[in-house]
Amino acid sequence: MAKKRSKFLMIWVITAVICLFLFLKYASPKIFQVLMAKDHTMPTPSTLMMWYMIMGILAGLVYATTSNQKFADFLGFLLPGGGPTIKILLQKVLFIGFPVIVGWFVYSWAIPGAASPVELRIQHPTLPQEFEKLENPFRQTDAETQRKCIEEGKILFQTYCRPCHGSKADGNGPFSNSFRLRPINFQDPGTIATVVDNYVFWRIKEGGPGLPSESTPWDSAMPSWKDDLKDDEIWKIIMGEYDTAGVMPRQREKLE
Amino acid sequence: MIKAFKSVLISLGLIVLMTGAFVGRSEVSAQTSHLFRTYKHEVPQKLSETSEAIAEGKKVYEKRCWYCHGIEGKGDGPASKTMFPKPRNFTRNEYKVRSTAAGSVPTDEDLFRIVTSGIEGTAMPFWNTISETERWQVIYYIKTFNEQFKKDTAPKVVSVGSVASTPDSIKRGQELFKEVKCYECHGEDGRGNGPLTVALQTEWNMPYRARDLSKSWNFKGGNATEDIYRTISTGFNETPMGSYLEKLSDEDRWHVAHYVKSLSKDMASDVVVKVKLSESEQLPIEPLDENWGKATPVEVPLAGQILASPRHWAPSIDAVMIRALYNKDEIAFLVEWDDSTNKQEEIFRDAMSLQFPTKIPESLKKPYFAMGDSSGAVNLWSWKAHWSEGFGSIASGAPETEAGAVIEMNAKGFKNIVTQPPESQNVTGKGIYQNGRWKVVMKRTLKTEDAKGDIQFEIGKLIPIAFAVWDGSNSDVAGQKSVSSWYYVSLEKPVPKTVFVYVLIAIVIGASIEMWFVARLRRFPPKLEEGQ
Repeated sequence: MAKKRSKFLMIWVITAVICLFLFLKYASPKIFQVLMAKDHTMPTPSTLMMWYMIMGILAGLVYATTSNQKFADFLGFLLPGGGPTIKILLQKVLFIGFPVIVGWFVYSWAIPGAASPVELRIQHPTLPQEFEKLENPFRQTDAETQRKCIEEGKILFQTYCRPCHGSKADGNGPFSNSFRLRPINFQDPGTIATVVDNYVFWRIKEGGPGLPSESTPWDSAMPSWKDDLKDDEIWKIIMGEYDTAGVMPRQREKLE
Repeated sequence: MIKAFKSVLISLGLIVLMTGAFVGRSEVSAQTSHLFRTYKHEVPQKLSETSEAIAEGKKVYEKRCWYCHGIEGKGDGPASKTMFPKPRNFTRNEYKVRSTAAGSVPTDEDLFRIVTSGIEGTAMPFWNTISETERWQVIYYIKTFNEQFKKDTAPKVVSVGSVASTPDSIKRGQELFKEVKCYECHGEDGRGNGPLTVALQTEWNMPYRARDLSKSWNFKGGNATEDIYRTISTGFNETPMGSYLEKLSDEDRWHVAHYVKSLSKDMASDVVVKVKLSESEQLPIEPLDENWGKATPVEVPLAGQILASPRHWAPSIDAVMIRALYNKDEIAFLVEWDDSTNKQEEIFRDAMSLQFPTKIPESLKKPYFAMGDSSGAVNLWSWKAHWSEGFGSIASGAPETEAGAVIEMNAKGFKNIVTQPPESQNVTGKGIYQNGRWKVVMKRTLKTEDAKGDIQFEIGKLIPIAFAVWDGSNSDVAGQKSVSSWYYVSLEKPVPKTVFVYVLIAIVIGASIEMWFVARLRRFPPKLEEGQ
């Protein structure tokens, strides 16, 4: 079998790299949108993009150097003469293109970039001591009283918490878009299902202003309800909130 | 020979990659453009309407719906007191989103679509989180609240044709918008500020507002042209929005729908307001100055102030748009928002305020976003409309535009607000109200002498900013206001001239390496020893 030789190997490698770039930049966000069933495109993160491109370019170089024959063909493209007009044209594009690309890299590196805000926070700070000992007075009552408390709590929840946390306790209330630190989705198993009743009590009573600074209290729109709701009402809201979200509070570990 | 080339090539490749590594970093975190729901149109196979289904529906209703819609379906549930618009009263035929003629009840499919998608701009959530069966069951139960569902067994479905959207169609739609007097409620620019809007409020038993057609996200039942066409055709029951089925031909209704669609805009939101450097000596002070076109607008969604009592559950202003420019001495902001009811029985003054920390934060720590706190003070630029007739009077005959006045304040929490002394008042401003929209300019020098109470602007830093708007005719005053959380302004660094020198040097170096490489290649062409 005659060895297939390509005079245009270099062009093919470059085309493959460009294709990879176009795929990551334009096609992949759409594909992931469909795969993950989202309403919006899923752009490839820039660092990931960089590593994929590095791997793509290295793969191209590795391929071009798999045999001396190939490598000679790869470089041979840059030699003068002996080809169709298209070759001469592509050679010119390469000669001009390389310094332009280097210039563009340097330009995009040197222009002042817009700073992106960094907003790190700890979601579940430690429960302050004075709240640790508290007990929800209605959790131990008979079933009938509990049912009444849940219902009363749900009404309070729908009145005061719903505008942000939503009718379904899913964090999608009418005001939720307006607070950049979005209201918590209580249906998410990583939220109120991971904490005990008292923790929620602390959060409702003290609100955003009661958070320690590692939890960015200045960005939290959670009001402090201590002036407007009685303790009993808060305990009822907590029961109604868990019921609406369809999750259970974490149980205290029994220390034997 | 080939080996030498290999190593040269690989090292060249690595140089390119390392420069490339720096390129990816300039990505700015744009706030998601998908803040609002998309209405789903598909409806699955109906469940049969049996008494068992209705009984099951009652259970669903009394678990999930009654808190707002009331146990008897009268729209008077206990949670409805913190709501505007109010929940539907199912005992009346106030159904808005229907494919049936005016005055008819909606089809089951219409109800299914709304239960599934909810209604943006209201408290109605999307219930695609419960099973389709449950949704059909609850719909059958809701229908039992109103006898009319039994009488209108086969509601008339309005036929839906289609006309393509062309510039001609939009133009025709605009003419029809005038001819059939849509502007009387929706206003000339469609901002819901027509002269009838306020007059109509007292005639219905609930406050009523014409839709602001420029805000696509608030369209009831969806903002696709088909949805707009359906609303024009069928109208909203028990509202001044009537059916235009008889008044306009099928084609004309499409023209109006295309025109309305052309008025509506999506919210262009972002976290950082980029402040462009202006070349001119003077920054614009007039709200209508054409130089504002050079600044990139950012829209910010607003919520009611719910942090401290008295809370504001029903704000009427849900977004502001902001632009900013700076030059070597000054910075100027243009803030715009739609207010459909200005100057009509205004009880309180319309107002707007910008909030900055008194100091650019060095760390993550900022003052509390709502008026600061004891450990972090904020600087407020507060603008208030005024009119010559005097505060509180009915502003008939007041001029269309009002300058207003800006007051600088400092706050360390809701209860600790201080107006700065006259010598520290250095923000100037001007507001203008036109066709349902306030446009307010505020301007100040980048640095002031009052370094303790005033924010000092620095180029390239992220400076927190928050917004508050008061709508006087919605009885907004003091804590009753629309608010945002912290956003940022960033004064963009101009591109220094030296960058171009770097680029030139890079191109020369790149070209030299290339030429050296090619020359070497040509001098020692890669040759394969035959038979290798």
